[in-house]
Amino acid sequence: MVNFSSVKFFVSEAVTNCRRAGLMTFITISTISVALLLMGGFLLATLNMESFLNRMREEALVTAFMIPDADSDQVKNVKMRITSLEEVSSVQIVTPDEAAKELFLDPTDQKLLQIGISSQTNPLPTTIRMKIRSSQDIDGLIRKLKDIPGIESITYGEEAFKQFQGLSELLWIGSLLVIILLGLSSLFIVYNTVRLTLFMRREEIIIMRLVGATNWFIRWPFIMEGFLQGIAGAIIALILLLISYRFMLTRLSILIPFFTFDLEWGHLIKLSVKLFLMGMVLGISGSLLSLRDLRSFSRNY
Amino acid sequence: MIELQSVTKIYPNGVRALNTINLLIQAGDFVFLVGPSGAGKSTFLRILFREEFPTEGKILVDGKDIVSMPESRVPYLRRNMGIVLQDFQLLKHRTVAENVAFGLRVIGASESVINDRLQEALEQVGLSHKRRMFPDELSGGEQQRVCIARAIVSNPLILITDEPTGNLDPMISMEIMQLFLEINAKGTTVVMATHNHNIVNKLRKRVIALVDGRIVKDEAGGTYAYE
Repeated sequence: MVNFSSVKFFVSEAVTNCRRAGLMTFITISTISVALLLMGGFLLATLNMESFLNRMREEALVTAFMIPDADSDQVKNVKMRITSLEEVSSVQIVTPDEAAKELFLDPTDQKLLQIGISSQTNPLPTTIRMKIRSSQDIDGLIRKLKDIPGIESITYGEEAFKQFQGLSELLWIGSLLVIILLGLSSLFIVYNTVRLTLFMRREEIIIMRLVGATNWFIRWPFIMEGFLQGIAGAIIALILLLISYRFMLTRLSILIPFFTFDLEWGHLIKLSVKLFLMGMVLGISGSLLSLRDLRSFSRNY
Repeated sequence: MIELQSVTKIYPNGVRALNTINLLIQAGDFVFLVGPSGAGKSTFLRILFREEFPTEGKILVDGKDIVSMPESRVPYLRRNMGIVLQDFQLLKHRTVAENVAFGLRVIGASESVINDRLQEALEQVGLSHKRRMFPDELSGGEQQRVCIARAIVSNPLILITDEPTGNLDPMISMEIMQLFLEINAKGTTVVMATHNHNIVNKLRKRVIALVDGRIVKDEAGGTYAYE
């Protein structure tokens, strides 16, 4: 039965042992910190890249071309229907004349004559350029646009979209792999460090077993210790991560002015929670793994 | 109190440490376990507190079959036993009081129970005045007294002890034995493995002699002899 006096005992044992095994505690906390710092770094980089890719996608234009002989009523009607679509944030109509002017910015361009555009004839259709609210709705929007009478064709840089999507998925898979590998390797280090501290406290465990402590009673102070070390590791990792993140942002904004990296507070809080959880899991599972078989803490006398 | 029925222990390397042991120890008995080194005395003690499993046979402690007892019940079995070993097994960074109280703390006793029982156990072994000292500041005899205090602090039914005077001079050994006699007088069954002829011959308690894992002598009021 675990009562208040036992809980007090677990906590005070955990704190005392952390202090007493100073070097081992330092090694465990440092290992957890470095692992979490790297994991956090990857998560942060992935989140930033994703938010950057999202912005790029959202800034991309979807262009619809009207049928060649569309009159102004038809254009107005189509514009109204597009404006009413929730996926669209802004609409711009480019008349054939405006489109031709854009093309004729370089009057010496001979290619224009080859496709039949001159100052007298203009086969260009009315063009409708629109900005989208979120890149997630692109497929739905394209379907809706195709249903609007008067629109002949639509372009939206399908290839670029697919590439962005692929890149984003690749980033997530990559960082997941890195997190798993880092997690396993740091778990291995934590496991071995805890095993060493257990060896140092072998006598204590033997005495606990002899006087009738249950296995869980023996384990709790170590689990508490792992928990505290995990939290300490997470705090250090988080401080280092935020400092280096700020530093990197400042450096990047000087080096690549058009690159805007920034994350919302919500993302940073989620990241911190993840790091704390990972720290606790690392600390506690390292202790639990080391304490699987308490019968090995026996004595030959 | 303790009953062994055809108990045999064969280690994985083939050593037969105990060979068909049948034995009954009544509640309140004081038993010396004697025999040459390697006779099986330590194995005998270890199977009593389920640190070892017998290969064959049945062991009843206070009416319970401890061989078939699930692992989760073993701590509760040990709470009825005090265990004192030859090397003092004290936690060096804890005071005398903390070492003794450790035996109660790890079984989840409340603070008031710990304080009452701690004082009683320290008085019984005569170390109340040294409760704040650390093991390294004590003599060998005093360190063994602390171990005994830790073993009896939970009022065990059985006290199992392996060479408790092995590292002590004859005078201190007799003092320690006096303590065991006092504990026994209060009703605790004592099972002690020893090589100390003088003590066994002087106290004239029940003597069980083991040679090559077999009981060669079981004599009430016996002396140290197994040839």
